[in-house]
Amino acid sequence: MNDTSESIIGRAAASALAQMRRQGFEHAQAAASVLVLTELNVAHNDPSLLRSTEQRKLSLLGIVDGRKASTELTEFHDDAVRERIESLHAQTLCAPRDDANAVSSGQQARIVQGPQAPDEAVLAGKVQELLDFRARETPKMLVDEAFVAHTRVESRLLTSGGSDLACRLGWYGMNVFGTAREGNRSSSFAYTGGSSDDLSSAHACAHFGIEEMLRDTERQIDTQPVPARFVGDVVLSPGAVADLVEWLQGQVGDMQLIAGTSLLRQRVGEQVASPLLTLKSRFDAPGVAAVSADGFATPAVHLLKAGRLVTLLPSLYGSRKTGLPHVPVAAAGWEIEAGDTPRAQVVGGVARGALVGRLSMGMPAANGDFSGVIKNSFLVENGQVGPALSEVMIAGNIARMLNDVVSVSRERIDTGDLHLPWIRIAGLHFS
Amino acid sequence: MAYTETRRHELRKSRMLMIDGHLAVNSRTAESGISARVYRDGYWGFASAPGDAGLPAVTDRALRNARAMTRFGERQALALPAEVHRGAHEFRGRPPLSEAECMERLAELHAWCARRYPELESTRFMLSDEDHAKHVGTDAGADAANRIQRAQCYITFSAVGDDGAPVELTESLSAKGSLGDLTLGVEALAPLLDKLHEHVQAKRHAVAARGGLHTVVLAPELAGMLAHEAMGHPCEADLVLGGSVTAGLVGQRIASELVTMIDAAHHFAGEETMIPVYADDEGTPARDAVLIERGILKEFMTSRETAARLGIPATGSARAYTPHDEPLVRMRNTVIVPGTAKLADMIAGVDDGVLVLKTGNGQADSTTEFMFSVTLAYEIHNGRLGRALRDTTISGSAIKVLSSVDAVSDDLYWSCSGYCGKKQPMVVSMGGPALRARAHVGGQ
Repeated sequence: MNDTSESIIGRAAASALAQMRRQGFEHAQAAASVLVLTELNVAHNDPSLLRSTEQRKLSLLGIVDGRKASTELTEFHDDAVRERIESLHAQTLCAPRDDANAVSSGQQARIVQGPQAPDEAVLAGKVQELLDFRARETPKMLVDEAFVAHTRVESRLLTSGGSDLACRLGWYGMNVFGTAREGNRSSSFAYTGGSSDDLSSAHACAHFGIEEMLRDTERQIDTQPVPARFVGDVVLSPGAVADLVEWLQGQVGDMQLIAGTSLLRQRVGEQVASPLLTLKSRFDAPGVAAVSADGFATPAVHLLKAGRLVTLLPSLYGSRKTGLPHVPVAAAGWEIEAGDTPRAQVVGGVARGALVGRLSMGMPAANGDFSGVIKNSFLVENGQVGPALSEVMIAGNIARMLNDVVSVSRERIDTGDLHLPWIRIAGLHFS
Repeated sequence: MAYTETRRHELRKSRMLMIDGHLAVNSRTAESGISARVYRDGYWGFASAPGDAGLPAVTDRALRNARAMTRFGERQALALPAEVHRGAHEFRGRPPLSEAECMERLAELHAWCARRYPELESTRFMLSDEDHAKHVGTDAGADAANRIQRAQCYITFSAVGDDGAPVELTESLSAKGSLGDLTLGVEALAPLLDKLHEHVQAKRHAVAARGGLHTVVLAPELAGMLAHEAMGHPCEADLVLGGSVTAGLVGQRIASELVTMIDAAHHFAGEETMIPVYADDEGTPARDAVLIERGILKEFMTSRETAARLGIPATGSARAYTPHDEPLVRMRNTVIVPGTAKLADMIAGVDDGVLVLKTGNGQADSTTEFMFSVTLAYEIHNGRLGRALRDTTISGSAIKVLSSVDAVSDDLYWSCSGYCGKKQPMVVSMGGPALRARAHVGGQ
C-alpha cells in the first residue's frame, strides 16, 4: 500500500463521517478499505490464470435515536456517498429503537504488518515447486485447483466517538484442492491452505500441511467401509479440529447469547472442556488485524484455559443487549496450545477408531449433537493406521467431545488464521 | 485462438435479522465493478477494478496477465466454442418492499409468534434479498444483459428439549425477485408457522437416529438438495476434469429408471425457473443440461474451456458471483423430474425407515459420496410416522442411492434459498419430488 492509497481511504472515511454527522446521525462509524489481490491459479495440474483485482469498500453505520442501519458501497466519490448517506438515514429511521446500539469511542490503533508488495517471482516459484513436487512425488494426484496469492489490504475506521483504527496488512496465501485418481477410481477430494508472511523460507509443500495432504490423498483411492457399528476413538487432524473451534465460538458469540440458546452462557469460570485444551487468540497472525468489526482494538484473550471457560465473546451490541462484559475480538486468529504427546503416540493410543482428515457435516444442532461423514480418513486398529475409509459416519455431541479429549499432539499446523494440533477424542459412534 | 470477455457487474444485497424482536442486523450493500478476462496462447489473464475504472485499462491488464503466464512455457491454445448470445433479460416482479415495510413485516411476525407460541425460548426472522445485474460482452460478439434476483426469509424457532438443551428448527422461504415477491403477511404464513411450531414441539422429545442403512423417504423439499449434491456437482465439467468418477460413466446406468435429472437453464415444464440464465457470464447461450435420463448418465455442464477440453458442447453454465470473480461452471436450476407416485403411499409402503422433511447444508464429493444434514425427520414403522429424530445426517454413494430409488412422487417443490459453495458462493435453485431410496443415516 502506498501513501496515495492511504490518503484516499483516509479522506474517504473522514469525508463520509463528516457527511453523516451533517445528515443528522447522532452516532456514526465510517470504514474505508482497499484490497489489492495478485493471484496465480492452477487448474488440472497446470498453471492457468493470473489475476489482478482491486476492490474498494466504504462501510457506513449510523444511529439516530437508538435506531441503527448500515450500508456498504464501492464508490468513493462525493455524490455517490452523499446519496447513500441520505438513503441510510431514511433506512435508519425505519428501524426499531434499541438502546443497545452504539459505536466505539476513543479507540486508537496503527497496524502495519506483513509484506506490503507482491513478489511475483515468489508466486511463480511456489506454483512451480508445487507442480514439480506433485509430478515427482504424488503423480496420481490431480491438483484440480490451487493458487498462490499476495493480498494487500489497507483500511481506516473512524467513529463519531473519536475512534481511529488504521491497518496496512500484506500477506501471502496458498491453497491446494484436488483428487487422486488411478484408472476409473478416485479418492475423495482433499484440500488445505493458509496465510503466511513468508512463503519463500520453505518449499511450497512444507506450508500448511500440503505435502501430507498430497501423499495421504494418493493413499485414499482405495477405500473400505467399516464392517459394523462400534464405539471408538477419533484422532481429528487440525482441519477437523477447526470445526470444534467454530462451534465453540458460536456458543460464546452474539447470536446464541442474545437468543439465550448458548449452552455456555452461565458457565464462565467453569470447566467446560478437557484440561488438555487451551484456546487463545493470535490476533497478530498473518492476514489478521487486531481490530474488531465494531471498531475496537483487540487485546489478546484466552477463551479456554486448561479447559476452563475464561470468557464469553459478545460484541459491543451483544454486550449492551445482554449485560455481559464486552470482549472485542478480531475477525480471525486463534490457536490451541500444543500438547506434550508426540502425534505418533496420539494415534498409537487408539484401540479402534479413525484418523480423520475432514468432517463432512452440517451445522451441529443447538444442543451440540452432530453426525457427519468422515472424509480423507483412515481406520486405526491397535494403534496402527490401516486402510482409507469411505461411507463411514460418526455421531456424537460436540459439547461432550470437548470433555472427552484424551490427548493433544505436540505437533501443530499453522494456517495463519488457525494454529491447531491433532486431538484424540474417545467415545464416538461409528456406523 | 484468442478470446476476450468483459463484464460490468453490480451486486446489491439487503439483510435484516430480528432476534426476539431486536433488530440485530439492518444492512444494505452495493458492490459494483468491471472485469476482463483474456485467453492468449493457452493461458488466462483476469483483472477487475471498481466500477468507475476504465474498461480499456482493465482489459489491458488482463491481457498483460495472460501474456505473463507464458513464463511457464509454451502451450497449445484450445479452440473455444464460438456461440454467442445477444439480448437482455430481466424479471419484473412485484414492487420491492421499502425499509419501513420490511420492518413492519418483521415486527408483525415477531409479535404474532410471541403471542401465539409463548413457550418458545426464542424466535429469529431473517429477511434478505440480492440482485445481480451483469452485462457481458466478448470479442466474438456476445452482448448479454442478465439480471438475477432472489429473496429469502428464514424463520427459526427455539425451544427447550426434554434434556434441558436447546432445540431449533428453521423454515426457509424463497422467491424469484425481491422481498416484495415473497409472501410475508402473518395471515398467509400462519399455517406454515403453526406447522413449524408443531415440529419444534415434536423435536423437544426427539430420539437419536439409529445409525446405518435405512429406507428413507425424502420429502420434495429435499430432493433438490439430493440432486444438487449427489449428482449435480459430479456432473460439473471442471470437476469431471478434476477426477470425478463420472468422467467414464457417460452412457451408463447410474440411477434407477425412475430418475431423470436436468440442470435447467431458464425454463422447466413451460415456466421460467427461479434463477433464469439465458446467457452465462461468458456470453454463451444457456441451454438445459440433461444430466440423467431415465437412469442413464447423459451429459455434463460446461464452460467454454471445459467444453473444449472435453470435446462436448458448451451449456452456458459459467457464472461468477462478484465483480471480482471469474466465471466457473455452476449449476443453475437442478431438478429431478416428478414421477407418478403419491407421497402418502410412499410412506405407507415402508415397514421400518425414516421420513426426512428438512435439511440444512450438504456436500458433494468427487467419488459421488454425498451428505446433507437433516434438521427434521420422523421414524416410519409399519407405514406410520413415529417419533421425531434428533438432528442427523444422510449420506451415501449417489450412484448406489439413486439406483435404489423405487418411488418418485408427482409433487414438485422449488427453492432458491442458501448458497452453493465452490470457491465462490452462487445463487442456484433446486427442485424435485419426493423420493424413496436406501441411504445411510448417521446415529448411534
